[in-house]
Amino acid sequence: MNALPNPMAQRAMRGDGALAAPVSGGDQLARRLAKRYGDRITGSFVLPGREGRFAPLPGDMPPALADALRSRSITQLYAHQAQAWDATAAGKHVVIATPTASGKSLCYTLPVISAAIRQRAKALYLFPTKALAQDQVAELLELNQAGDLGVKAFTFDGDTPGDARQAIRLHGDIVVSNPDMLHQAILPHHTKWAQFFENLRYVVIDEVHTYRGVFGSHVANVLRRLQRVCAFYGVSPQFILCSATIGNPAEHASALIEQPVTAITDSGAPVGEKHVLLWNPPVVNADLGLRASARSQSNRIARTAIRAGLKTLVFAQSRLMVEVLTKYLKDVFDSDPRKAPRIRAYRGGYLPTERRAAEREMRAGSVDGIVSTSALELGVDIGALDVVVLNGYPGSVAATWQRFGRAGRRQQASLGVLVASSDPLDQYLVRHPEFFQGTPPEHARIAPDQPLILLDHVRCAAFELPFKDGELFGPQDATPWLDVLAEEGVLHQEGERFEWIADSYPANAVSLRSVADGNFVVVDRTDGRQTIVAEVDFSAASLTLYEGAIHMIQSVPYQVERLDWNGRKAFVTRTNVDYYTDAIDYTKLKVLEAFDGSPAGAGSAHHGEVHVARRVAGYKKIRYYTHENIGYGPVNLPDLELHTTAVWWQLPQRALEQAFDHRQEALDGFLAAAHALHIVATVAVMAEARDLQKAVGSGDGAWFATPDTNGRAQLRAGFGENEVALSGPFIPTLYLYDAFPGGVGLSAPLFERREDLVRLARELVHRCDCRAGCPACVGPVLAADEQGERSLKTLATRVLDLVAAL
Amino acid sequence: MSALADKLRGLRRQAGVSPPAPAPVPTPRQRPALPDNISQLLGIRQRVQRTPPRKTVMDVGPLPGQTIAPGLQLCEARTAWPAMPPAFHAAFARIDQNIEPERLLLFDTETTGLAGGTGTRAFMIGVGDWHEGQFRERQLLITTLAGEAAMLECFASWLRPDSVLVSYNGKSYDAPLLKTRYRMQRIASPLEGLAHIDLLHPVRRRWRGAWENCRLATAERQLLQVVREDDLPGSEAPAAWLGFLRGGSAAPLHRVAHHNSQDLRSLGGILHRFATDEDAMVPSQSTRP
Repeated sequence: MNALPNPMAQRAMRGDGALAAPVSGGDQLARRLAKRYGDRITGSFVLPGREGRFAPLPGDMPPALADALRSRSITQLYAHQAQAWDATAAGKHVVIATPTASGKSLCYTLPVISAAIRQRAKALYLFPTKALAQDQVAELLELNQAGDLGVKAFTFDGDTPGDARQAIRLHGDIVVSNPDMLHQAILPHHTKWAQFFENLRYVVIDEVHTYRGVFGSHVANVLRRLQRVCAFYGVSPQFILCSATIGNPAEHASALIEQPVTAITDSGAPVGEKHVLLWNPPVVNADLGLRASARSQSNRIARTAIRAGLKTLVFAQSRLMVEVLTKYLKDVFDSDPRKAPRIRAYRGGYLPTERRAAEREMRAGSVDGIVSTSALELGVDIGALDVVVLNGYPGSVAATWQRFGRAGRRQQASLGVLVASSDPLDQYLVRHPEFFQGTPPEHARIAPDQPLILLDHVRCAAFELPFKDGELFGPQDATPWLDVLAEEGVLHQEGERFEWIADSYPANAVSLRSVADGNFVVVDRTDGRQTIVAEVDFSAASLTLYEGAIHMIQSVPYQVERLDWNGRKAFVTRTNVDYYTDAIDYTKLKVLEAFDGSPAGAGSAHHGEVHVARRVAGYKKIRYYTHENIGYGPVNLPDLELHTTAVWWQLPQRALEQAFDHRQEALDGFLAAAHALHIVATVAVMAEARDLQKAVGSGDGAWFATPDTNGRAQLRAGFGENEVALSGPFIPTLYLYDAFPGGVGLSAPLFERREDLVRLARELVHRCDCRAGCPACVGPVLAADEQGERSLKTLATRVLDLVAAL
Repeated sequence: MSALADKLRGLRRQAGVSPPAPAPVPTPRQRPALPDNISQLLGIRQRVQRTPPRKTVMDVGPLPGQTIAPGLQLCEARTAWPAMPPAFHAAFARIDQNIEPERLLLFDTETTGLAGGTGTRAFMIGVGDWHEGQFRERQLLITTLAGEAAMLECFASWLRPDSVLVSYNGKSYDAPLLKTRYRMQRIASPLEGLAHIDLLHPVRRRWRGAWENCRLATAERQLLQVVREDDLPGSEAPAAWLGFLRGGSAAPLHRVAHHNSQDLRSLGGILHRFATDEDAMVPSQSTRP
C-alpha cells in the first residue's frame, strides 16, 4: 500500500501523456557521473517512465471498504490490482510479480478485507521477517480505522506474549506471521486454532522469491502440512502470493503450493524514468588487478548525490559497513552539531520504536542520506527517494531490483548505482549489464522431495494428524516414509493408520534453513562474550570452521579458535587480519547413476547421483587483493561422505589429445573452466555459492585434480598419497554438485540450462579484464605465472569450446 | 530395515545426525514397492526384500478391568470415605458457588508424554466421584489407539451440564489435552463451560513458601500423610503403556492404574480438606448471597 494511485500525480501529467519534465533529478546526476567517471561505468541504461494504467474500484467491493479507500484518497486501482481482484474473485490462486512500490499489498488486502467484512472469513499472512509483518499490520489498522471496518489484524510471532495468543487465535481476522511460526507453533497446535482454520479463506505469502533452495524446499513442505490441516477442518484456502521479479514467478509459486497459479506480472503503476549505472571501482594496481574499494566509491557517489540535493539511500552488506559509511557521510554533512542530522543509519537490531521514528523522519523528508542493511530492502515505507547506491552486489538480480526500486518519484527521474566489490560474483555481474535488462536471468528453484527434508516434514505432519495407509503427502505416497518412522519408533501402525506415539515435539528439532539437524553453531567469544553468531551446515563445517580459519559472518572476519566436532560448536573471536583462509580440500567424486545425458560438443553432459568423499588436508592463508599465499596450517578432521546429485561434463581422450599437448594442460583447463562454470551456475539457479560445489576428477573415481598454489592442477589417486601416474583411459570430468546429502535439486535445472552455462562461462572468461586469470574468471593465479598459450584463460576457453554445443 | 530406511540413515549420518535407535519391537508389515520417482531420488537399486523378523508371540498377561468396547477397558472400585458436608462454598477455588458433592467429578489422565501439541494423547482417564455415599473410582484405559474415540465418548457420558470438574493442574494440562483429543476425534468437547476446581491453585495460595514445592506428591504427604509405596513414577507411565502397545507385557499397566487411583484419592482427600475448612462451611443458605 505504499504506492497508491494518487490523483495529484495524474494532474501533474501533461496533456500529451508524457511525464512532466524533470527539474533536477537522477538523470542529471547520471549524466554528470558518466561524464566524470566514464571508465568506471561498465553499464548504463535508462528504463523509460510509464504512465499509470488505472481501473475503477470494483463495483462488487463492500461499500465500507470502498469508503475507507476513498477516505485515504484511493479512488481507483492500478490495472494489475484490478486484475488481481478479478482473479481472486474467480477463485484462482494468484501470484503477483510486479516491481517494488507498485502497490502489491493492495492486491491481497482488498479480497482479504472484503471476505472478512462479508463472511467473517479469516486470513493468514506469511512474511519472511517480523519487521515486515509489523508494517503490514500497521497498514491494515490504518485502513481499518479509516473505514471503521471492524477487521482485527494481529501479528503472531516469537515476541507475541503468551496471554495475547489465546485472544489472537479466537478473534484475529487476519493473523500475520512467518513460516517458522507456522511450522513450530501453529500447525503442531492446530486444535487450538480450530476456529481460525474452520474459517480460513485466504493464505497470503509475500516475498516468495526468498523461499528458494533449502529454505524454499522446507517452506513448500510446511505448506503441504498447512493444506493437510486445512483439509481436516474442511477448508481449502485460496493462496495469494507476491514475488519480486524473477524469471519464473508462476512456476515457482505453483511449485510452492502444488496447485495451478495465475501470474500477474504487468504492473499498472506509473513509474518515473529510472537510470541505472553499473560501477566497477578503478584499477589501482594493474599488475595485481587490484581495484579501489567499493566503500570509497559508494561514499563518493552518495556525497555527490546529497550535495546535488537528491535524497539518497546507500545499501551496505553488513552492519559494520553501515556504521563506517554513515560516519564518512556524517563527517561531511553533519559537522554542525546545532543542526538536525541529515544522515541516518538504519539496520536490524534497533527497537521497533526506534525504527518507527527513523521511518517517520525519512518520510517527513528531514533526512537527506540513509545508510541501511537489507532491513530496508523489503516493503518498509520511507517515502520517495531519488538515488539508491548499492555498496556491493546483494546476491541476486531480483534483490538488486528490489533495492533500486526504493528510488523513484513519479515526476522525476531516479538513479540506481550498483558498485561492485572485489568478490568474483560482483565482478561477474557488473560486467554483464544484460542481466539487468530484459528477462530476469534468475529462476527460483525448490526441491520439496529432498529425502531428508521430506522425512522431517512427514514426521511433523504425522504429529499433527495421523496418516492413513497410502495417504499422499504432496504428490507422493507417504507410506515408505511412514515405515521408516515406524521403524524408528515414533509412529505406531494400527490397522490402516499411522499414529504419533513418541514423547517429543518434532517441529522443534527441524530448522527450516538446513538439511537435517547436524548443524554447527558458531560461538563468538570476543571480549568474554558467549554469543551464537551463526549456524553452519554440517557438510560445510569442515571447509569453513577448521581451527585457524577466518570465518566471515556478514562480511565481518572472525577467527576460529577451537572446533568442538562432537559438540558441533566452533568458538571464534573477532579479528583484523589482512588475509583470508582457503581450505585445501581433496574431493573425489564417483558417478553412481546417470539420470539423463546428452552430447555436449565433442563430449557429453549428464546429471545424476554421485558419491563424494572429501578430506580437508589443511588450509592456505591468502593475502587480500594480492592473493599471495602467506602460509599454511594443518587441519585434522574426519573425512566426509556425501551421496548427492550433480551435473557433469566429460571429454573423450581423443578430443583431448587433439586439443592439448599435455594432460597437464588439459587438467589445468578443466580446473579453470570449473571455476568459471561455478560462478555462472551460482547466478543461474540463485544458489548460495557454498550450496553448489565444483570438482574435477575421473568419472570412475580413480583420481581427482586439485589446484596447487599456482592454480595448476595436481593429480591424486587418494587422500594420503602424492601425485600419481595414470594408467587406463584418461577421461577428465568436470562436476558441479549439490553440497547437501541427497541434493537440493540444483542439478536438474543446471542440466536443463547446460548449453547456456557453457556459453556464459566462455563469455565470462573471454570478457574478463585480467591478463592470465583472476578470481573473477578462472580462479586466482600468481601474477608471475605464464601467459599466452598456456595461460589458464586460454586453457579454460579451450575446454569450454570443446563442450560447447556446435 | 527397509532399503529406504538404510538410505535415509546414510544421508542423515552424512548430514551429521546421529542415527536414532530403532524401536524395541519392530512392527512387521508388508512393504509396498517404492514408486519410481522416489527410487530415482534416493538412488535405490533393486534389492532383495528381506523377510522381517517375526513378532514373538508371548503371553502379555491379564489387563486391568473389563472390556467395555473394542480397545477400551474399564476398572471400577468403591471405597468408604469420610463423609463430605452436604454442600460447601468453593471460594477457596475462587468460585462463588455452593457445591453439592454429588456434582463433583475428580479426574486425572495418564498420557503418552509431556511434549504437548497434537501429538500427545491420554491413554487413561481416571475419574472419581461421590456416589451413593461412597467414593467411586472409574478408570478408562485404551489398549489400542482405535479405542480412543470410545474412551472419549464414555468420559463425555459421565459429565452433566452442572458437573464440577476437580483436578490437580488440570486447567493447564489435562483439560486442554482432552480438548485437543476431542477435536482430533471430531467429537464435541464436553468440558466447555463446566466449572473447574484446579486444586493446584488454592494449594499454592495457601502453602507456597511453606513447603518445598506444591506438587501433588508433596500436598498428599503434608495434608493426608500419604506415603506411596512401590509407586510407578508418573514419568514411567508412557513407557509402560507404549511397551504394552508394542506387544509387551500388560503387567506394568496394573501399576499405572494403581498410580492413577492413588492420584484420584489424593485429589479427593485434598478437596475434602478444603471443603471441610471453616471458610467453606455453608451454615445456612440465607447468609450467603
